[in-house]
Amino acid sequence: MTTPRHMVELRDVCMQFEEKKVLDGVSFTVEPQERLVIMGQSGSGKSTILRLILGILRPASGSIFFKGLEVNRLPRRKLQRVRQHMGMVYQYSALLSSRNVRDNVALPLEELTDKSRAEIDKIVDEKLELVGMKDSKDLLPDELSGGMRKRVALARALVLEPELLLLDEPSAGLDPVIASVIDELIISLSEKSKVTSITVTHEMDSAFRIATRMAMLYQGKIIEEAEPEKLKQSKNPVVAQFLSGSTEGPILEGSLDAITKK
Amino acid sequence: MANAQSPVLVAQGIGHLSRSFLREVGGVFWFIVNTFEEMFERMQRGRVPFHAASFFRHTQRAGVDSVPLAGLVSFFLGLTMALLTGYQLQRFGTERLIPGLVAIAFTRELGPLLTGIMLAARIGAAFTAELGTMQVSEEVEAIEAMGIGPLRFLVAPRMLALFLLMPCLSTVSNIAAVFASSLICKAYFSIAFPYFLDLVKDSLLIRDIITGILKSFLFGLLIAAIACYRGLTVKGGAAGVGTATTSSVVTAITTVIGFDTLYNVVYTTFYPT
Repeated sequence: MTTPRHMVELRDVCMQFEEKKVLDGVSFTVEPQERLVIMGQSGSGKSTILRLILGILRPASGSIFFKGLEVNRLPRRKLQRVRQHMGMVYQYSALLSSRNVRDNVALPLEELTDKSRAEIDKIVDEKLELVGMKDSKDLLPDELSGGMRKRVALARALVLEPELLLLDEPSAGLDPVIASVIDELIISLSEKSKVTSITVTHEMDSAFRIATRMAMLYQGKIIEEAEPEKLKQSKNPVVAQFLSGSTEGPILEGSLDAITKK
Repeated sequence: MANAQSPVLVAQGIGHLSRSFLREVGGVFWFIVNTFEEMFERMQRGRVPFHAASFFRHTQRAGVDSVPLAGLVSFFLGLTMALLTGYQLQRFGTERLIPGLVAIAFTRELGPLLTGIMLAARIGAAFTAELGTMQVSEEVEAIEAMGIGPLRFLVAPRMLALFLLMPCLSTVSNIAAVFASSLICKAYFSIAFPYFLDLVKDSLLIRDIITGILKSFLFGLLIAAIACYRGLTVKGGAAGVGTATTSSVVTAITTVIGFDTLYNVVYTTFYPT
């Protein structure tokens, strides 16, 4: 057992899909009310970390703790209860396509609480208003843009008042204004409602706006972890290249040569 | 060298096939067990396993909407069966056996079997495609991530709907076939409706009806379980959904026929008369 002081703790987590090793000894902790942003290349295993914390995937080795509970060893029933304290926003929203916006947001309340329809409607309205989607209650996910879907997904993740919010590319596909609104919302949730968040993103502006701490995932390992301002000064060539978006550096070594030769 | 290796390769192939077959059988079995487990866990906490609206939506789709198909196919088959057997029996002057023959054949065997095949194609395919699409678009994972049991939420209402509706549809099929044969008997073999009914009542035993109903329950459960299992184990995007849907229909039809044979073997062994 870990000390419940940490909201989330990953200890030496390894994960591989068939032959490919995605995570190779990842360890970090997230404290309550913290906003951790995990950065890394596409396919580097960032989303896998979120799925491991949710207990959707089980690691090849290592341990994952949520408030002192070892998620990867919990039986199904307990895991389901633990998940009710987490809210997840998927990269492609993952809204139930056959249910309208209201029903999507109301789903966790209908299934997991004993609230009346009137109470559920009130909470749904409140959360949809928070993300600026109250007028689209009756629309189906197919009738929404990518950005709107993501906002509905965020509202759905918030209905059970989670302690931990897991966000997979929350700003991708949003216009800059709405992206800022979502970022502000994540910040205000942690400040006012004491929500802890782990965000996986490529959007550097958004990452620096949200983060109280940032971690860089590269080749299956967390190679640097620091406050945003410190990370900006990093001497690590991988971090420096990733933040600057330069093609020169260790990240594209090999593959860039191949592209140039073509 | 190739000749020396071929028996090994054949054995290897058989081993591989047997292993994947057993894996699938085990997969479906545990899938059913886990679904019931999730339902009972929920009920232990004093909550309904799923919303009544969800259950009735599936019974409407799987049951009520399938009535025309089951009724019509069985009606035509009843007509054909009565007509073809009637002409043969007429040669021996035993055409009064037609009502009993059609009634017993449908109640015990053809009703549940035909309905099973039709539902596997009509509803099993729909369940697999629906759940498969939800699986590839991460909807199932999102449900799981919310702390909702996907088996209880998605599979249980479908499984229960098909389980309970199959005997009803089999009965519709039986009635349609018997009605069709009564029309043929009246038109071609001069057997009046009241006499037809008497003949049916004389030949049909309660155990024929019970056998048919028990089979229907079993087929309903198997079709729903196979369809939902295939849907929730889809891999490989849109193409994967297509492959899983085809596989679901083929597996469900084969399983229904296989189980029907097994049921008959067991039944006739223990109740030979």
